[in-house]
Amino acid sequence: MLVFIVLSVVMLIGAVGVVTLRQPVHAALSLVGTLLTLAIAYVQLHAHFLAAIQVIVYAGAIMVLFLFVIMLLNLGGESPTPRLAWIRPAAWAVGALTAVAIVVTVYADPRALPDAATLAAVFTGSGVEQIADQLFGPYVLTFQLVGVLLLTGIVGAVGLVQRKAAVSASAQGRAVGAAGRTPPQAPPMDAGATAEKGR
Amino acid sequence: MGGPVPTEAWVALSAALFAIGAIGVLTRRSAILVFLSVELMLNAANLALVAFARQWAVAGTQVAMSGQTVVFIVLAIAAAEVAVGLGILVAIFRDRVSTDVDTLSEVRL
Repeated sequence: MLVFIVLSVVMLIGAVGVVTLRQPVHAALSLVGTLLTLAIAYVQLHAHFLAAIQVIVYAGAIMVLFLFVIMLLNLGGESPTPRLAWIRPAAWAVGALTAVAIVVTVYADPRALPDAATLAAVFTGSGVEQIADQLFGPYVLTFQLVGVLLLTGIVGAVGLVQRKAAVSASAQGRAVGAAGRTPPQAPPMDAGATAEKGR
Repeated sequence: MGGPVPTEAWVALSAALFAIGAIGVLTRRSAILVFLSVELMLNAANLALVAFARQWAVAGTQVAMSGQTVVFIVLAIAAAEVAVGLGILVAIFRDRVSTDVDTLSEVRL
């Protein structure tokens, strides 16, 4: 129980940091903290394999991708004046209401946990074998579809980021126009666009 | 103080994380911060799935492990989503040198 309290406090501090910190890098690092405490939570819940995957894939690969894009785009903080000022208190009210509603619903129908013997019998080892049995058994169609989805995602991402000479020329013209509207942060992409245009 | 933590407590924590993520999606204006909040919401759902997987241990290994298998699939989908989403983000940034979602309103009638 003590572990749970410490975990949840750290997790919620990290989550609030993601939502409130102004600098994107700080928000991303705050999310890394939340993801790592989630990995510890998975260990507490007898999901050892998922804990390892959480650290390697989520806190590792996905967050590195995020930090890489923040670095590539040289993103600064948000401007402090929002266009829709009323949305901030409204969002906090809706969020608090949702959380309270879910908590009330869950506690209205409490269930006793299975005893320790049952848990030990079901969650034996790291869980890799059992997850593999499920993944290549009843979930094999989902597994295939996820494979297709990942392939589509890779092709889509490459297609989006790749640029042709004509497109880059017009994009550069528009980028210069947009730079006139937002003066700071000289676009680092323009150098590449010019180089490609010259080819 | 001892003993295992009940499933309700884990689901309450997951609900709090999900709500904070939803608040982030609604209030953040930089597209990459909206993405980070979406990741938070996905992870909140994963935590609830893992907690329910433990709760259903009485129903046998098959049922209990299907919860953890779904978490595995959600992870793979999140990876694909991040790849495509960040690609879109880079494309938008090239076009307008800003990722402020408030200014992306050309499609509005």
